Amino acid sequence: MPPSVHGPRAQEKLDVILGQVTGLRSRLNWLAAQHVIYLLFAIGITTAVVFFAGAVLLTPMQFLVVGIVTAIAGLYALVLTLRSGWRRRSNAARAAALADDRAGLKGRLTTIVQTVSFGRRSVLWSYLVEDALSHREEFVPRQIERRRIARSWWAPVAAMALATVLIPLARSHHKLKMAAAAQGGDSDMTVDLDDLHLRPAEPGDKTGLQVRADSATMARLREKMAREGEAATRGDGGKFSGLLNRARNLADSVQSKLRGDSNQKQRLTLKLADNDAGLDPSNPRGPDLNRNTRHGDQAGQFKRDNPVDDEATLPPIDDSLREPDAEPSAGENGDAAAESGARGSTLNGANDPSHNGPDDDVARGDQSYNGGAVHGIGADPDSLFGEASKSRMSTEGFEIAIEARPVDQGIKGAGQAYLPPKVHTPLNTHQEPDEPIARAAVPPDDRTTIERVFER
Amino acid sequence: MTQTQTALEMPTVGDFARTFRRIQSEIHKAIIGHEQAVEQLLSALFAGGHVLIEGVPGTGKTTLVKTLGLALNLSFNRIQFTVDLMPADITGTRVIVAGEDGRREFSFQPGPAFCHILLGDEINRATPKTQSALLEAMAELQVTVSGTTYPLRPPYFVMATLNPIEMEGTYPLPEAQLDRFLFKVRLAYPEEDNLVRIITSTTGAEEAKIAPVFHADEAPERVEALKKLVREVIAAPAMEQYAARIVRATQPDHSRYVGDSVKSLHDEMVNKYVMFGSSPRGAQALVLGAKVRALLDGRANIAREDVEAVAVSALAHRIMLNYAAHSDGIEAAQIVERVLKSVRAARS
Repeated sequence: MPPSVHGPRAQEKLDVILGQVTGLRSRLNWLAAQHVIYLLFAIGITTAVVFFAGAVLLTPMQFLVVGIVTAIAGLYALVLTLRSGWRRRSNAARAAALADDRAGLKGRLTTIVQTVSFGRRSVLWSYLVEDALSHREEFVPRQIERRRIARSWWAPVAAMALATVLIPLARSHHKLKMAAAAQGGDSDMTVDLDDLHLRPAEPGDKTGLQVRADSATMARLREKMAREGEAATRGDGGKFSGLLNRARNLADSVQSKLRGDSNQKQRLTLKLADNDAGLDPSNPRGPDLNRNTRHGDQAGQFKRDNPVDDEATLPPIDDSLREPDAEPSAGENGDAAAESGARGSTLNGANDPSHNGPDDDVARGDQSYNGGAVHGIGADPDSLFGEASKSRMSTEGFEIAIEARPVDQGIKGAGQAYLPPKVHTPLNTHQEPDEPIARAAVPPDDRTTIERVFER
Repeated sequence: MTQTQTALEMPTVGDFARTFRRIQSEIHKAIIGHEQAVEQLLSALFAGGHVLIEGVPGTGKTTLVKTLGLALNLSFNRIQFTVDLMPADITGTRVIVAGEDGRREFSFQPGPAFCHILLGDEINRATPKTQSALLEAMAELQVTVSGTTYPLRPPYFVMATLNPIEMEGTYPLPEAQLDRFLFKVRLAYPEEDNLVRIITSTTGAEEAKIAPVFHADEAPERVEALKKLVREVIAAPAMEQYAARIVRATQPDHSRYVGDSVKSLHDEMVNKYVMFGSSPRGAQALVLGAKVRALLDGRANIAREDVEAVAVSALAHRIMLNYAAHSDGIEAAQIVERVLKSVRAARS
């Protein structure tokens, strides 16, 4: 039975016990911190690997979905990890309880730590301290908690292993895909105009695109562009599709960055075909106005998918590569239209005021689509400062709508008319009083004329 | 414990354990088996509580109590509770006595309650009125007769016995009185080996001689000093919380007396079979019993093991079971075991 202790020696003994408990607490907290760090590493690595693999292997829409899901899962795992780490932290009482359990000390350390905290003392306090001290070899921190490295060390290792396996696989898959595309080589494609779905390009998306078609088809293309722009302006599903397009383009650009693709894209020549035979070139609008356009056909998108990179951006059109056999007017305006299409179907033929050809109104769209009126389609900065709108500005005049009805119809149902109160405002002291206009004398020569007028 | 130790000197932890074991060994000279019951009985004594002993006839209930009185060398009285027993038969009454000058006057004649160890044999045979006469003595260590309060000398230890198989003409103890017993000790039917030893020791010519552990003149003070030491055992707040959690977990979820309840601790069995759980006195009994066990283990602090060890004897008789429990043959001890299990699970 341990003897009673008193005075300073008892305090020293207590310090020894509390020191060991503090050491154990530090050890436990370090392990908890390691646990959090390891799991954070694992989450970060796994998320990055999934993003990279998704960027390489998936289409932009798939990548978008996978990316969002991965981001949410990563955030959730992050929160769980932080919460887990917070719960694993130890205070002195918890460390003492752990030591009691593992060393079979039957609550001695817990009692000491909590009694010190709460300040309750008993005549048996010294006995308790002495008793606990006699077991100090049993609660040495390294014996209570032997681990120096948290058990969750496997998490970052597993994540690294996953990265080691998945990233080279994805890269090799990407390389194979590129090699296959390079063997294919042909960057030209022929698209039927009806299958062509126009959507706005991202700002700064300077893709290279050359559109080749006969003049009638080019005219129809401009018409189609005008209609698409009008639909987008009216908001016929334009908000959602615009949002979707933006998201897809964003995913595409992120994918390109993750893949490390160069900005120099393959030049694309888009050959437009028109299945509608018998089109009158002089009246290209007529029969085509009611033709159905197949929206959403990915294969017929104006910005043609790069055979190597899905939906890759393309370099701008090189004017020197235009088709020499294109009609001048169509070539000129088609150039404008093609360029506008290349810049994202912004219908901004009006950007160049010098374009005043016969089809200029088509290339530029209707007046209502000129300049800023249609810039919202693609939000292309190049198109933001187009020719000013010819529509009346709000400062040039105004109209006031007045609700009125004939008196003959009575005032029933019209409610009580508002009668303004009579207000007598004092005149300005400098104001001249109203004078009756003196009747002017009629010149004799004019009297006859005046009388004739009144006789009529 | 040495004979030279004065009554005012605080015994040490070792003194307590040695004294306790010595009393135990003296009791076991007369009582064969029932080790756990004897330990619980002594634990209740040093924790300052009272004990309700339940057992079938012939299991040594009365012998146990008598032996305890002899071992402690404390005054001992026995009351056989019957239907016609009156409260005054327990507490005492005022009688007319003739004084030295020949004048007659009322004088208080103390009843059998005035002793250190009181055995209430078959307490459930007395009417509730008579049973309640013990309430004041047990709880407040005093007796009030005709408006005059008479204190009882500590230590005061009441042991009541119950016969569980003969229930005709009995009055089950009211809950308030049951709650005043620190422990309920069950004396089981002896095993064959023990029964043989009982036959041998009780049918021979030689009777077991119980040597008192204390001198008669210092026994009360010595017992009180040991009781005081029990109170000095340190209970960490975590242990008190553990005891409180156990007691609260004995209350069913639907109890309208409990208020906010820790639903996660409630066992389905408690909700199904318990009408009303343990009172706060149950928590006090848990901690006091745990303190005695800690001292016996040579510790100055209580542990969860101590609390759990006394849980059944401290809580079982405080739990009121409903009709479903009686019909399904569920006992309160089973409920306590389930509660301990659920509280342990919630802790881990």
